[in-house]
Amino acid sequence: MVPGPLGLDPFVWLFLRLLIAVVLALVLILNGALVLIYLERKIQATMQDRIGPYHVGPFGLLQTFADALKLIAKEDFRAGQTDTAFFIAAPALVFSPMLASFVVIPFAPGIVGADLNIGLLYLATLGSMGVLGIVIAGWASNNKYSLVGGLRSAGQLISYEVPGILSLVTAVLVVGSLSMVRIAESQPGPFTNIFVIPLAFVTYFIAALAETNRTPFDLPEAESELVAGYLTEYSGMRWGTMLALTEYGNVTIVCAIMSTLWFGGWQGPGVDSGPVTGPVLGLLWFTLKTYAFILVFMWIRATLPRLRIDQLMSFCWKLLIPLTLLNLAVTATLLIAFPETKVPVAIANWILLGAFVLGLPLIQQRRLRRIRARLRERTIAAAPAS
Amino acid sequence: MTTLVPLGAFIALSAALFFIGMAGVLVRRNAIVILMCVELMLNATNLAFVAFSRRLGLLDERGSVFVVFVFVVAAAEVAVGLAIVLAAYRNRPTVDVDEVTEMKG
Amino acid sequence: MSLDLIEPILFGLLALAIVGAGLGVVLAGRITTSALLMAFTFLNMAGMFVLLGAETIAAFQILIYVGAITVLILYGVMFTPQGPRAYGLFFQKQTTVGAVIAALAALPVMAVAFAFRDAGNVPPRGGDLVPLASSIFTDFAFPFEAASVLLLAAMIGAIVLVKRE
Repeated sequence: MVPGPLGLDPFVWLFLRLLIAVVLALVLILNGALVLIYLERKIQATMQDRIGPYHVGPFGLLQTFADALKLIAKEDFRAGQTDTAFFIAAPALVFSPMLASFVVIPFAPGIVGADLNIGLLYLATLGSMGVLGIVIAGWASNNKYSLVGGLRSAGQLISYEVPGILSLVTAVLVVGSLSMVRIAESQPGPFTNIFVIPLAFVTYFIAALAETNRTPFDLPEAESELVAGYLTEYSGMRWGTMLALTEYGNVTIVCAIMSTLWFGGWQGPGVDSGPVTGPVLGLLWFTLKTYAFILVFMWIRATLPRLRIDQLMSFCWKLLIPLTLLNLAVTATLLIAFPETKVPVAIANWILLGAFVLGLPLIQQRRLRRIRARLRERTIAAAPAS
Repeated sequence: MTTLVPLGAFIALSAALFFIGMAGVLVRRNAIVILMCVELMLNATNLAFVAFSRRLGLLDERGSVFVVFVFVVAAAEVAVGLAIVLAAYRNRPTVDVDEVTEMKG
Repeated sequence: MSLDLIEPILFGLLALAIVGAGLGVVLAGRITTSALLMAFTFLNMAGMFVLLGAETIAAFQILIYVGAITVLILYGVMFTPQGPRAYGLFFQKQTTVGAVIAALAALPVMAVAFAFRDAGNVPPRGGDLVPLASSIFTDFAFPFEAASVLLLAAMIGAIVLVKRE
């Protein structure tokens, strides 16, 4: 048992440490969500040639704080026919796995909640738990839009978990450890994993977009077709927890995973410089890398249109999963064949990535040709009848 | 030094959950609830496997391997089971097991 | 004050939750309640695995049971509307017989179960990942491949069963 500082009783210190950690994590997530929502609105506005929030505070910086206050102060309103217990439980079921995910993320050298030896598996596990809350929310709302949103989300999240986890496994094969700390430590040089397994990064990035319900995969909460999907009946802080906190928390987590697995996490110039400056610089590099990915997510949201549900599913099952399986098989074979060097893996991965990027337009062309041919047949068949 | 829970307690809990699941399979009408109870029974066996493998110390960690196979069987079982329930529901809009009697002579 | 009794206390809480939620699955009138209580049982079972020191199994338990199987079952629940009916009609006609048989079978098994004793050499907690993985991919490689074939067969079977036409 760890004795506490200032001569604290170890038993008291155990619980005090837990309390401090939880409070820190909550503050981090709440403030992170506020900052991210502000950024999202400002960036969307810039891309759409608008100004964005500017009334509250300098540059509208305090706008999201004001919104959060409004959400907290709002009346706790529920539609009459909702399923009370499940309706209340759903936001907690979505929120708590996201909160627990922050335990294993290495923010800087030596700054990590717990260095689990199954860290990445733990993250994948918690990522899969959020689906339950969303399905329950859709069911408990007693609203057809919510139900359709919940069902879509169940199908989408379970499907996209497969390529996501297979891409993570590819990265784990290259590094040789599931511990997030070990993964970050294993990439000190400028040649991080992104140069070795770029295809796994691209597939994980697509799967991560789908798993966090971001455009172009935001079908479960599509405003224009499902009102707001499983969020329709929620308001006030429940809505705030479900949408704002959880979505932006999940975005932060997948971006942290990407920066740790493929870009070295806190690795950067000057992280070995000293006991104080090292962690500070590490935290700086980690934050910069993570926020760079978050900005890409926002950029995608501003530019790409939403997919249709059948396109979403066939893209996952017919293209993404076979591709990640092939990538995994090739990477594993080459790692066993050449245990000393990662160059063959890198070459194979870059070739596969090139084939993927160049092959997409070809596949799309063939598909369009087939659809047009079928349409022509149908019009010819229908012509004599009319 | 923390006090250890004896192995017998884990096995008894596993048995209790197994028989709860068995009672559910025997008494419930709804086919989907029966599937859930089968999952409970499979999970109870998992607890027994893990407890024996950790605490009996005869076969270093080998027992946990069977848990992985139980997971596979459980996933396959629920997929096929739900498919059967949905196919039966399409022919006859009920999920009550005692009303699906077409095969009775 | 110390943490001597933390394991028995945690075991007691988890056991209570598992048995209570398991009974709830069997007795609950609404099917969504049953499904959620089943997910709750699985979560507590994962806690039990952590208590036994098998973290990897606990992670797989949540990944597969809570993340996939419960959601699949909820999917099934939502595709088959459940009409309202009297509580007694949730059970079979032979409910009493079934319950008595289960209880009678449970009693001797429980009596035997408490008789198991630890072997004495409890392995250190954590780190079950490497032994588990190495035995799956060396000694149990053939069953592992067979399991993958089983999964493929189940997937194809499920698709064929529910495909229209």
